[in-house]
Amino acid sequence: MNGGNKTLSKEIDKKEVASRRGFLKNVAASAVAAGTVAPMAAFAGDDPAIINEPEWGTKLGEPVDKNLYGLPSPYEHNVLRRVHKLLSSGDMYASVAMCPVQDLEGIITPNGLFFNRCHGGVAIVDPNKYRLMIHGLVEKPLVLTLDELKKYPSESVIHFIECPANGSTEWRAPQFNTLQFLKGMMSQAEWTGVRLKHILKDVGIKPEAKWVLAEGSDNSHMGRTIPLEKILDDAMVVWAQNGEALRPEQGYPVRLLVPGWEGNLNVKWLSRLEIGDKPWHAKEETSKYTMLMPSGKAIRFFWPMEVNSVITRPCPDKDWKGYKKGDVIEIEGLAWSGHGVVKGVDISFDGGKNWVEASLKGLVLPKAWTRFSYMFKWDGKPLLLSSRAYDEVGNVQPTIDQEVGKMGVENIYHRNAIVTWEVKANGEVNNVQIRS
Amino acid sequence: MFKLDLKKVAIAFGLSLFAVTTLSAKEEVIKLKPLPLDKRAVDGAVEYTVQKGVYAGVYKVNPQTQKLSGKYGREATPNEIKAWDIDVRYDWQGLPEGKGTAVEGDELFEKHCAMCHGDMGTGGNGYPKLTGGDITTLKNQLVDPERGDEPPERSIGAYWPYASTLWWYVKTGMPFPHPMSLTDDEVYSIVAYLLQVEEIQIDGKDIEDEQVIDKKTLMKVVMPNVNGFYPDVNGPDGPQVMKKFLSNPANYGTPTERCMKNCPTGKVVHIKASLDDGITPPPTQVKDLPKVKEEKAGGNSKFAKLYESKCKACHGNKAIAPVPGDKEAWAPRIKQGQETLYEHALKGFQGMPPKGGHANLDDATIKGIVDYMVEQSK
Repeated sequence: MNGGNKTLSKEIDKKEVASRRGFLKNVAASAVAAGTVAPMAAFAGDDPAIINEPEWGTKLGEPVDKNLYGLPSPYEHNVLRRVHKLLSSGDMYASVAMCPVQDLEGIITPNGLFFNRCHGGVAIVDPNKYRLMIHGLVEKPLVLTLDELKKYPSESVIHFIECPANGSTEWRAPQFNTLQFLKGMMSQAEWTGVRLKHILKDVGIKPEAKWVLAEGSDNSHMGRTIPLEKILDDAMVVWAQNGEALRPEQGYPVRLLVPGWEGNLNVKWLSRLEIGDKPWHAKEETSKYTMLMPSGKAIRFFWPMEVNSVITRPCPDKDWKGYKKGDVIEIEGLAWSGHGVVKGVDISFDGGKNWVEASLKGLVLPKAWTRFSYMFKWDGKPLLLSSRAYDEVGNVQPTIDQEVGKMGVENIYHRNAIVTWEVKANGEVNNVQIRS
Repeated sequence: MFKLDLKKVAIAFGLSLFAVTTLSAKEEVIKLKPLPLDKRAVDGAVEYTVQKGVYAGVYKVNPQTQKLSGKYGREATPNEIKAWDIDVRYDWQGLPEGKGTAVEGDELFEKHCAMCHGDMGTGGNGYPKLTGGDITTLKNQLVDPERGDEPPERSIGAYWPYASTLWWYVKTGMPFPHPMSLTDDEVYSIVAYLLQVEEIQIDGKDIEDEQVIDKKTLMKVVMPNVNGFYPDVNGPDGPQVMKKFLSNPANYGTPTERCMKNCPTGKVVHIKASLDDGITPPPTQVKDLPKVKEEKAGGNSKFAKLYESKCKACHGNKAIAPVPGDKEAWAPRIKQGQETLYEHALKGFQGMPPKGGHANLDDATIKGIVDYMVEQSK
């Protein structure tokens, strides 16, 4: 607007404001009298969620300073980690809280839903008192504070962490009808930290060194033996997950990350790395985390998590009751391998007799959850729906018969057999097993 | 399951080729080409490298970081290393001097361990069973409990390959609610007791009640299942042994071929004994607003919070100690009078250490927590 019209326009504005105020007063008065503005007339077929102004559109929302650390919508309060007494060692301190895999989207687990397995409760570590000691067969034993640790060059990588006991309730027979308890001992995050090889340059590893003891500072002082080769390959000490400091449940302020390996080896609340010439044989390498075979002998160490997959939609929690005959439905799931990249996933609709290839979608990363997808036109008939992944080293996910045939049913850990969902004509989905 | 082998069509070629030739209407199989050993890392996985500034073909990295790095931190002092380096390796490296007897261990076990692990370590309350196994059960496979299958018993004497692990774990991980509170001599005694219960022999003889078990004696212990584990990783080529083992999927029941058509299958087994009922909170896909929980009176007091953080590890589990709100368990205790309860809490009683192991709390605070627990249980 140019200068000559300024006064005029101001007057018009004033008039408009005055008349608007008058109008608002009238509306307010009539609203008080009537209780509310009369809603639009609704006709058959109209959705009241559209015709009636929703309540959140007629009042102020919450102030921006209400949750200075944000929370999910209160309507999502049922999306939770869950626990089961049978999966604990007597109480909720040496126990596991399962990740709601059925409710996850994409490949990143929100930090509050990341599965939580610990052996003596979740330690709350004071970062100011945190120290990492590296000693043993080294020229110069090293102590680092958290600030000093963070001075090393950082990298951010996306890897799953899976407890080797994931799915261990299924060795004998199917027992859970929820994905959360079938596969909930795993989650995935973007981890930030430093490759240990950078730090170890500084300490001077002696030639006879072969193994490393990684020990946590929590109640259980949990230690595990890791070969030096892995430590110098892709192992990291990490202090962040998905852009923020590690959660206490994930070992705040620092945990070890051994990509692709048993969750238990990713020692939380990491305080000590001792370099040695022999393995230690810690408690979690003798009474637990060893795999008892039908021969009566046990596999002592088993590091990587083998190739695996599961269909997440549908699953017993996310059934097909909302679909009908003729619908085109996306079958979706997660595949992962501690041995490398997932190369592909096959899908069967008939309990494993015949298979077709699904597509991978999104990021396909090494030692990481990978989404797969298959578009399916449902004829409304019952199905036996299975997925089978294969990986970069040439390993294929076994059938239950193949796995149990070799491993028996008593080795607890590393169960990665094909999962089958029974889809009924009414859309109900159940966990079943295909066994000869 | 491979009885159809002769009719099976197996085509071996690279990973990227998936053409299948059908010679008969039988199984159609795509054989995958295993990654050669020289391209594998110590775990049999792909060994990734940085090529032209890209790691594993996906992550860009700053190539400078591959060569340059600062030197941070400081040298650890010998005393600091001594304070933290208290592990005991399988070859007994790290075992400190000390001594104990099984009879002292019995008493200590009653006081610190039996409330969870049961009398003589025979288990109970969901906590690990430590004793009473038998090495011959390790071949057991509990396939079907209804036909009387028995499980393998992985007790210390039957399963654990090394007694060093027992010493180390008791020292650093036990007693569960307050680890690192046992002296080395007490650990020797508890270890001697558990080995005695498990009928482990030293020099071909049973462990006597009053026999002094010191470092030299303990190091003679050879566990019955010492050869029950494979592969043998203790030699100088241990990591290479593991690499070979993990690079062969036949060792762990993993196939290397994808059957695509007319594959062997089986019967559908449904859930018979569902465990879903024990899931907490119960699973649901409902999207609604949470119900407002009713706060129990006193639930927010200072003492309630202290109970939560300091006492609940034991007093939250009725297998270990009376839980607030458990009127039945508290009634006889309340009858003894508040002064007795104060005294037990302050000075320790049975399995409970003085002040529950929280020596830093003053007497008035401990009494306040006792009052809170009693109030909850009337």
